[in-house]
Amino acid sequence: MDLQPNLLTATLGIVVIRLDDDLAVVDVHGEIDGLSPGDDIRESMPVLYGLEDALAVPDVDIAMPLIQTGRNNDEPVSLNIRRDPDTGVLWLFRRDVSEESAIHRQLVQNHNSLSLAQAELVKARDAAREADRTKTAFLANVSHELRTPLHVIIGGASILSKTGERRPDPSEVLEYAADIHESGVLLLQLVDDLIDLSRSETGDLTLYEEPCDLCAIAAGIVSLCRDLPEARGTRVEGVIPPGSVGLTGDARRLKQVLLNLISNAMKAVAGRTDAQITVTVDADGPRLIVADNGLGMSAEELAIARQPFGQPRAAVRAKGAGLGLAIVHRLVALHGGDLVIETAPNKGLTATVTFDPARAKPLAG
Amino acid sequence: MKTYKIVVLGDFGVGKTSLIRRYVLDEFSEAYRATIGVHIYKHEDTLEGDSLDVSLVVWDIEGAPLPGDQTRRYIMGASGAVVVGDLTRDDPFSAMWQAADMFEEVLPGRPLCLALNKSDIASVKSPETVKRMTRRYDCPVFETSALTGDAVNTMFRALARSILSLGL
Repeated sequence: MDLQPNLLTATLGIVVIRLDDDLAVVDVHGEIDGLSPGDDIRESMPVLYGLEDALAVPDVDIAMPLIQTGRNNDEPVSLNIRRDPDTGVLWLFRRDVSEESAIHRQLVQNHNSLSLAQAELVKARDAAREADRTKTAFLANVSHELRTPLHVIIGGASILSKTGERRPDPSEVLEYAADIHESGVLLLQLVDDLIDLSRSETGDLTLYEEPCDLCAIAAGIVSLCRDLPEARGTRVEGVIPPGSVGLTGDARRLKQVLLNLISNAMKAVAGRTDAQITVTVDADGPRLIVADNGLGMSAEELAIARQPFGQPRAAVRAKGAGLGLAIVHRLVALHGGDLVIETAPNKGLTATVTFDPARAKPLAG
Repeated sequence: MKTYKIVVLGDFGVGKTSLIRRYVLDEFSEAYRATIGVHIYKHEDTLEGDSLDVSLVVWDIEGAPLPGDQTRRYIMGASGAVVVGDLTRDDPFSAMWQAADMFEEVLPGRPLCLALNKSDIASVKSPETVKRMTRRYDCPVFETSALTGDAVNTMFRALARSILSLGL
């Protein structure tokens, strides 16, 4: 038995008593075992168990032989007395050695262990069911997102291939060609996003890290937004400090983070108000902040938006498969950063990416 | 130095023994070994701010979803109780209600506190239930982790302070 300082044990059939202490001595029923409160344990215990002679011996050793005794003749009890050689503390172990007691102890242990294992199994089963449901929903979403642009491509190509009187006029040809191109771009973006998502899930998304300048990356995205068709009517401005904010990271992926966030912001505010990209750095680390003052989202909508293919009410009519935010989450995590989103209905949305200060890297020049 | 008996109650496997061993011995084991009957630990502590030494006898009582007569006997003479629940379970609270009710029935007016354990791997899913429990028993609640030690000492010391403030 494991001896611990200040530990008494009174389990089923086992009592461990420290004889130099004034603690209450309990038996297997949690009651004073043959003693009245205030009784001197050292005097009473030997009397109870017929150990006067044993304890009277002044040099009771740590290896004192096992003594078989019992309060009733038909109760198999073992007593083992040990003295701690370092502290001189005397320990008395009383153990019910009956088979019934041992079986009872084992039954309780088995019952508890089985119950806990069963609870874990139920949890694992529920998690597996949920994962299966998610996978099915994911496949349904992918199929849906693929079908829409494919229908445009097939339908457009079919019309363009017509001859004779049914041949479209030159202006229609240009229109159908533009639709096919746009659908192809959408498909490519979707496939790229799916590959990124899949690689991040399997841990195969690798960052090519190098010293990056967040200011240059943010300025590049602000400039790019001015040329994006979906930014029409939206003013995207940068709040970028002079000089550079260095970070060890994958520049291409950091651009992707900003582009996805600003793309969501533009969908939320198109034709209405402004979006802003801010770069800051302080003791907590470098930050990228993308804010808009558009429709915002409720907590429930935000939870939906965080899921792959999640399309909250505010974004239902927007273009995109709803993978952007999920990918941002994974890319930020790969950079050891945190993404915090603050939003409320009609209060806009602010996405703040904070990087570990250890990743901050002063850039030469 | 006065000695106070504290009982630790709750369903089996919620981490009662682990919490006590973290507090008394500052150790943690992943292995689960059911407590059968009761284990009693003695620990001397100093309440910060009070520079007051107290001796706590902590009774680690066999866990059960429904505490029985044996548990009732173990509770007798206690100055306070810790009622432990497991945050990783779907319903950590039903056994906590049972244990806290029994403690209040046996020793009305004695302080107790609630330990929502395993906070390192799960969080509170039903804050409303926690609020109801703290109102019902007029007690503090701690999100504890025997693994990391989070809030463990704080909880036992808060209970000791409550006991002292009642002049028990």
